[in-house]
Amino acid sequence: MSSSVSASPFTGLDAERFATHLAQRSYLPAWWIAAKQEAWNEFTSLPMPARKDENWRFANLKGLSLDDFIVPEEHSSLVPHLPNFPHASEIIFSNRQTVGRSGLPKELADQGVIFAPLDEALRDHGDLVRNYFQQHPVNLGSEKFIALNIAFAACGTFLYVPKGVKVDLPFVVQHTISGDKQSIFPHTIVALEESSEASLVEFFVSGDTASHLASGVNDLHAGQNAKLTYVGAQNWSEDTLSFQANSIHAARDARVQCLNVHLGGRQARHESHSRLAGPGAHCDMLALTVAKGSQEFDQRTLQTHQAPHTTSDLLYKNALIDTAKTIFSGLIVVDPDAQQTDAYQTNRNLLLSDKAEANSLPGLEIQANDVKCSHGSTSGRVPPEQEFYLQSRGIDPVKAHELIVFGFFEEVLNRLEDEHLHAVLSELIQSKFKKS
Amino acid sequence: MKPPAELATPPAPEKIDDPVMENPAEGIDQSAGDFTYDVQYDYDAGAGLTENTIRYISDVKKEDDWIREFRLKALKVFEDKPMPTHWATDDLNNIEFDKIRYYLAQGQKPKRTWDEVPDDIKETFERLGIPEQERKFLAGVEAQFDSEAAYSNVKEIVAKQGVIFMGSTEALKEHPEIFRRWFGKVIPTSDNKFSALNSAVFSGGSFIYVPPGVKVSQPLQAYFRINAENFGQFERTLIIVDEGAEVTYMEGCTAPKFSTATLHSAVVELVAMKNAKIQYITVQNWAANVYNLVTKRGLAHEGAEIKWIDCNIGSRLTMKYPGVVLKGKGARGEVVSVALANDGQHQDTGAKMIHAADDTTSTIVSKSISVGQGRATYRGVVHIPKHLQGCKNNTECDALLINSNSRTDTYPAITVRGDDHAVQHEASVSKVSEEMIFYMQQRGLSEAQAMSLAVNGFVNDLVRQFPMEYSVELKRLIDLEMEGSVG
Amino acid sequence: MRRNPDFRTTSSLHTNASLLLFTMKSLEIRNLTIALADSLEEPIVKGLNLTINTGEVHAIMGPNGTGKSTLSKAIAGHPDYEITEGDVLIDGESILEMEPDERARAGIFLAFQYPAEIPGVSIANFLRAAEQARLDEGENVDAAAYYKRLYEKMDDLKIDRKFTARAVNEGFSGGEKKRCEILQMAMLEPTFALMDETDSGLDIDALKVVADGVNRLRGENLGVMLITHYQRLLNYIQPDYVHVMYDGRIVKSGDKNLAIELEEKGYDWVKNELAAPATA
Repeated sequence: MSSSVSASPFTGLDAERFATHLAQRSYLPAWWIAAKQEAWNEFTSLPMPARKDENWRFANLKGLSLDDFIVPEEHSSLVPHLPNFPHASEIIFSNRQTVGRSGLPKELADQGVIFAPLDEALRDHGDLVRNYFQQHPVNLGSEKFIALNIAFAACGTFLYVPKGVKVDLPFVVQHTISGDKQSIFPHTIVALEESSEASLVEFFVSGDTASHLASGVNDLHAGQNAKLTYVGAQNWSEDTLSFQANSIHAARDARVQCLNVHLGGRQARHESHSRLAGPGAHCDMLALTVAKGSQEFDQRTLQTHQAPHTTSDLLYKNALIDTAKTIFSGLIVVDPDAQQTDAYQTNRNLLLSDKAEANSLPGLEIQANDVKCSHGSTSGRVPPEQEFYLQSRGIDPVKAHELIVFGFFEEVLNRLEDEHLHAVLSELIQSKFKKS
Repeated sequence: MKPPAELATPPAPEKIDDPVMENPAEGIDQSAGDFTYDVQYDYDAGAGLTENTIRYISDVKKEDDWIREFRLKALKVFEDKPMPTHWATDDLNNIEFDKIRYYLAQGQKPKRTWDEVPDDIKETFERLGIPEQERKFLAGVEAQFDSEAAYSNVKEIVAKQGVIFMGSTEALKEHPEIFRRWFGKVIPTSDNKFSALNSAVFSGGSFIYVPPGVKVSQPLQAYFRINAENFGQFERTLIIVDEGAEVTYMEGCTAPKFSTATLHSAVVELVAMKNAKIQYITVQNWAANVYNLVTKRGLAHEGAEIKWIDCNIGSRLTMKYPGVVLKGKGARGEVVSVALANDGQHQDTGAKMIHAADDTTSTIVSKSISVGQGRATYRGVVHIPKHLQGCKNNTECDALLINSNSRTDTYPAITVRGDDHAVQHEASVSKVSEEMIFYMQQRGLSEAQAMSLAVNGFVNDLVRQFPMEYSVELKRLIDLEMEGSVG
Repeated sequence: MRRNPDFRTTSSLHTNASLLLFTMKSLEIRNLTIALADSLEEPIVKGLNLTINTGEVHAIMGPNGTGKSTLSKAIAGHPDYEITEGDVLIDGESILEMEPDERARAGIFLAFQYPAEIPGVSIANFLRAAEQARLDEGENVDAAAYYKRLYEKMDDLKIDRKFTARAVNEGFSGGEKKRCEILQMAMLEPTFALMDETDSGLDIDALKVVADGVNRLRGENLGVMLITHYQRLLNYIQPDYVHVMYDGRIVKSGDKNLAIELEEKGYDWVKNELAAPATA
């Protein structure tokens, strides 16, 4: 099913291709064009990650090669179907173009909510977008790939919720990619103004089993007393090289919950930096990974407590099968003035095969003394007594395993308030097990 | 460290002892190590490090060609390796290798009786209490003054069992067959920049061999003293404990306060053969301008057990991660460490556990205290490669912060392959709470006493694992370090 | 019924002549106003007067949130509280300028409602440090005598000797914590004990043990301020005086019968009475 893509001469990640990309966007604000140009320069000047780079410890550097990937304009008509659950509005991208979109409910539009593809938002609300674009960049090692994202960013979403507006149902975005060596650069910007509430759910899926490159960036802002929920569910083809860098900025008394589900990709790197910038801010950072075959999932996190009375709670769970490999590298940084901080970081690895490899680097850097900080990391197998207990009730070992693994993930999924979304994600995770 | 010596010197500040430690040896005074003697050195390799420095050292020591070659190769490795500042502190760049003197000695041969020790060196060691300590409870002692052992004695009863305990310099000559077999095998020259430096210029250190089945009941001890300014001490210790044998080794280190920084860069290799047991205890109390960059690793064969007990107080920067390579089935490794980082100090310590056989078990317990502007860092490696079964690791790191400008970091790295292992890492950071201090004050303790008691309580369960003389001493050291940290 | 009785007079009326053989001491609380250090504008205790002499047990009762615990903590010098008015004196000398540990050594003992945990510090070690702190410089606690006395007190209080090796309050049950407080009180022999809700969270058996401990310790050399929310404690510890505290003040005082009356009628009785115009 690969691709309705026509073999254009050469559409690699080169200067010529970038120039065409830029030329097609001459109608967009000058600051955006300049930012793209700067990002391109940065991309070309930054080296690829090297062996001594602590940010890439344990990662397979050979797998990061960007050679042969292409950036054609055409889009595939093949769009996997979007999970059906109650939502406020949706946008569907395929190979970097908007292919589907449900209108924004009138009452939301009337209240000033904006939910639009990035290019459209840049055209219509350029200055507003600029206020939130890369204000707090992620610096956890993927700077080169973030630059690449910005240089080529076209698909992506801008979600803006004005002061005091509460949106009950989630906004949904789907990014789809298909065609051999195709690449995609989703860039999502979410801005919640004071005391507003909203959720955004993004699905990242492949339309085929071909080799893809994805490099995504999210700028997530929760204003004073705002409540933001972000869920990213990644299920690229198993031959995809994927990068994602999420920046979370929580102002005074803001509450943010982020959940990332990682299922697809040959090698998937995910970086997440939460900044607790105002007193009373709270952030939940959650992740679930099912690593199978020879997949590598590399997750790097940073929780920065910049203000007093802030709390953060990270829980990353990985289930590993076959010869899969995971890396979790987390750091909690408590600035000197951020007293009365509670920060937690937990990484749990469930190893289900004797060849799977779990790496865990849970770190703390504490400069304030009135803090409660702890981290924990466990790596181990399914407890035999649990397995036996289920079997003694007549459940066969394979099913027993499955139940225990789902139980392992439930602890994370239970933190979601949206039951429908919970069900959708559960099903998605189960489908990954059944695929084998 | 304050050598146990100072146990015999007069009054400690007021201090609360555990009931189990009635009448411990008297207190020690932190300033006891802070004195120097003018010593006329017969041999001085001069400042700076070149191939000529190495040749000078080898000539003075009348070394065989193989060791000379070994040193020269190591120098090359040292020069080629970059500073590990991609993960470690930039403060390493402040070491001025050109200003350091790499070898200083008075041409002494280690003396076997106390009377033979030259008066000036004797005075130093007497002040630190070495001979009394020896009488008290040691099976043997070795004392190193700058580059070479000045005094070395092993009790007759231990010697009769075939235990060899002497300086590395002597051992290279007297027992080359054992020495060469294991030397550099646990920690290769190229392990890191400082192991390479040590391999190039090493001098002194202890050599121990315990024959099969011999269980040395009392500890063997070495004492390392830096006496000269701008001097680098590079001792090399090699301990081989044969099948079913057991030994406890303790080392203490001090240096006076010099105005310029001093470098201590040791390499310690332990080999525990089948079912052997080694316990290695370090109490360091370096002056606050010593760079203490030490590589320590043990190799544990089948059923063997290696335990590092490591107390790090003082120094400007300590980087030390004692490790155990669990090479044989059922081997056990343990690291117990206590670090106290005071103003201007950085204790960058931790542990490495490399599992290389089935059913191997490792335990790491680390406690650190950051006082004033001190910084304590934990770095750990736990590695369980593929095709192994039944490995276990348990790691606990607890950090206590005393003042609002203290800092603590924790950077563990855990790799587990396979589905038949259990690895657990827990870390916490806490502070001495106001409620705790008020409670103790309400019982009549001053704020400073309350703080000291809280800190001692924090390390108490670890300190109990130490031999009594050392635990009493460590508690006193902690108290002294805590002085002036409240109010 | 007087609203703010001056107990200096009342208690002296009750003074037993035999007490004169001892040096009677007094803890005098004079017009005390206490606020949280970070909200001085809203005092919790508002001009409270009370004098406790050695040999007396004063129960202070009252609904939750009325300032009982604040009173005891502030007297002990807790840093969260500030005394904005009034004075606290031992034998006529103010203790307000003293550090908490100086107050403790001057004879004040606070039995905490929620005693802090001190990880790694054994009870034996802790109490010995507290005793050492009471000695002059150069003097040392005689270890043998100390342990003898400690074990005697523990036997009296029916506390297992193994208890001494446990870290202070760490992982203790509610009853163990309270007994540990009583043990410390027995060892440190204070002149004035401020017992803050010593009975809260205890079952009847534990309560009896604690009450028995207090009864053993009471006598001519000890003055007790017994803070409680529940009357039941007073079934086991008979107070000489009962005071009802409400909204930061003592609003009613009497003998042990007041506690019984209070039990029957409830705190609303006091509230209602206060709301009604005062009758002389």
